[in-house]
Amino acid sequence: MDFIFGEIAGILIFFIGLCGLMINKSILKTIMSLTVMESGIILFYITINYSPDSVPPIGQAQEAAFADPVPAALMITAIVIGIGITAIGLTMFMHYKQKHGITHWTRDRDQQGRGL
Amino acid sequence: MKETNKAINVIRVLFIAVSMILVLFHFLNHSEKLGKPLMDYFTAGFLKETGAQNAVAAIYLDYRVFDTLFEALMLLVSVMEVINVSWAQKDVRQYSMDKELFNRKDNSEIVIRMVGAIYPFVLLIGLYTIFNGHISPGGGFQGGVILATALISRYLVWPNSDLDLVKLENFEKLLFLAIVAAPVFYIFMKIEPFYSLISRQTYMIFMNVLIGLKVFSGLSIIFYRFVFYEGR
Repeated sequence: MDFIFGEIAGILIFFIGLCGLMINKSILKTIMSLTVMESGIILFYITINYSPDSVPPIGQAQEAAFADPVPAALMITAIVIGIGITAIGLTMFMHYKQKHGITHWTRDRDQQGRGL
Repeated sequence: MKETNKAINVIRVLFIAVSMILVLFHFLNHSEKLGKPLMDYFTAGFLKETGAQNAVAAIYLDYRVFDTLFEALMLLVSVMEVINVSWAQKDVRQYSMDKELFNRKDNSEIVIRMVGAIYPFVLLIGLYTIFNGHISPGGGFQGGVILATALISRYLVWPNSDLDLVKLENFEKLLFLAIVAAPVFYIFMKIEPFYSLISRQTYMIFMNVLIGLKVFSGLSIIFYRFVFYEGR
């Protein structure tokens, strides 16, 4: 299993999330698919430019090469933004559910408001 | 109706599979190797230039400080959205009980004792992660999340809505102002009292404390709103 590494797994997880985004009619499952896509992106970024024999970029000890600190610093902000996006989506979902009874992305009145 | 839905779903899955194979093919065969100029630049002299021993803290507090500013703005906007777009514009006191009524509910004694025992240690490790963010793995974001865990364990012991969330939100807005002001004065305008390692490390600790408190208040506002307001 040498050819399955983090970047390929990240791309696969991203497309699995995109598939869930396109197929599901339920708004709650759409928010979950967004979270899956985001975790795929995070996995892709933190395994970019990875080498097995590198040390964490802390201090000035140079017995081995530093790991790349740039994707880690980018993903710290991306995780917090992901929490914000999930919170916004869930709040808007509860608002629509309670005010208008909408739970699905469809005009079919039979599906609305029945189950999640 | 059902049949067309199934056909459309098959077409969607096929579209996803084809695009996935296309992206993987391009990624494996034609991806351009750009080298690592950014990494070389950032890891060359970050201790001398920024005063942080942790290169990640040096990047998100000094080299790429715009990331942190707009991330803080994003968290603030999501907290304001969670408070203002909510369907439940109820009074907070509806959920708060007085002590006698609360004691009559049978919460688990084991959970209460154990959470009470680990509560100070959670606070301690959160503060340690924040204050040592520039010399060890950690930083404002992680420490803030650990501090928010302390409030969540408080909810396990005392599920009562007696926190003033509006005050916490105003506190978070003030913290955001401070987070914007500190890099503007220190990084952009280069106003520093004395040019040395100590002033740089003071700036790092100050920014980490601000970010940690902001993430802490934002996450606890989101948690308490979801627990007390967004239910049925």
